[in-house]
Amino acid sequence: MTTDAANKPSGLTALANPTRFLALVRIVLPYLVVSTVLLLSIGLWMGFSVPDDYQQGRTVRIMFVHVPSVWMAMGAYMVMVSGALGVLVWRHPLADVAARSAAPIGAAFTFLGLATGSIWGRPMWGTWWVWDARLTSFLVLLIIYLGLIALWNAVEEPAKSARMAAVVVLVGALNIPIIRFSVEWFTTLHQGPSVMRAGGPSLAPHFLYPLLVMGLAFLLLFFTLHLMAMRNEILRRQIRTAQRKAARGHRNPVARETSK
Amino acid sequence: MSALFGAKYFGFILSAFGITAAVLLALTIWIVLVHKSRLRQLDALEKAGIKRASRPNG
Repeated sequence: MTTDAANKPSGLTALANPTRFLALVRIVLPYLVVSTVLLLSIGLWMGFSVPDDYQQGRTVRIMFVHVPSVWMAMGAYMVMVSGALGVLVWRHPLADVAARSAAPIGAAFTFLGLATGSIWGRPMWGTWWVWDARLTSFLVLLIIYLGLIALWNAVEEPAKSARMAAVVVLVGALNIPIIRFSVEWFTTLHQGPSVMRAGGPSLAPHFLYPLLVMGLAFLLLFFTLHLMAMRNEILRRQIRTAQRKAARGHRNPVARETSK
Repeated sequence: MSALFGAKYFGFILSAFGITAAVLLALTIWIVLVHKSRLRQLDALEKAGIKRASRPNG
């Protein structure tokens, strides 16, 4: 088994090479952008075509941006958890890149979950905000995201910041089941689960299908933005390496001459 | 959809969709601008004679 094919890296190992990863992004990105725009258009059209809900009236349409934002906020965190495991267990070169790039996107979706939930809560609950378990644990998620972004930016050494952030990501992951089950464990103003629940979704099909299409559109949007952000992070690291190389060359002109 | 305009709570529906569109658009534009800025920085470094270990095509 000494052929080129046998020596050729495959799967995740192949993607450890930044050049190969960037080439893959270049191929995949146009398809992702087109699919995202298409699904978002279909989802929005379906969402605005639904009849009014018998209890919530027209405001039920807010669900089509609120729920997918919440799903993506938690989904992005799970991407960071797999990145953290990749850093600490497998030491995959792109694991920290994936985790770090997901943080601002996850923070944006978390903010949207809180903002759209608050806008929906005012007409339905009569209040913008209440310190119940679901809302509070979701606010904690936003704080964790912001803390991690600050940590990644504060520690200059990439390997050190990757390890520190990975530990914080894994500790912060405890908040994900708390968010998920808060509406079952505690008495909350927020309603219980209506899509991912034992016994199947409680939503009527004419609300469920547009919601699933919007969920899929947001998922594709997340993948698109995440790949673009990962590409930026790889370039940032290449710039940093090049700048260090330049700085070493300036400090040691003899070494620079001999290395040519 | 036209029945939504002027309907009760229309402002809340518009705000929710508006803030979602604004945040996601701003995030996308920010990522695109960062990409362009990084490519410019790398080009400047290469013009200054600093070669990269691996040259991306993206």
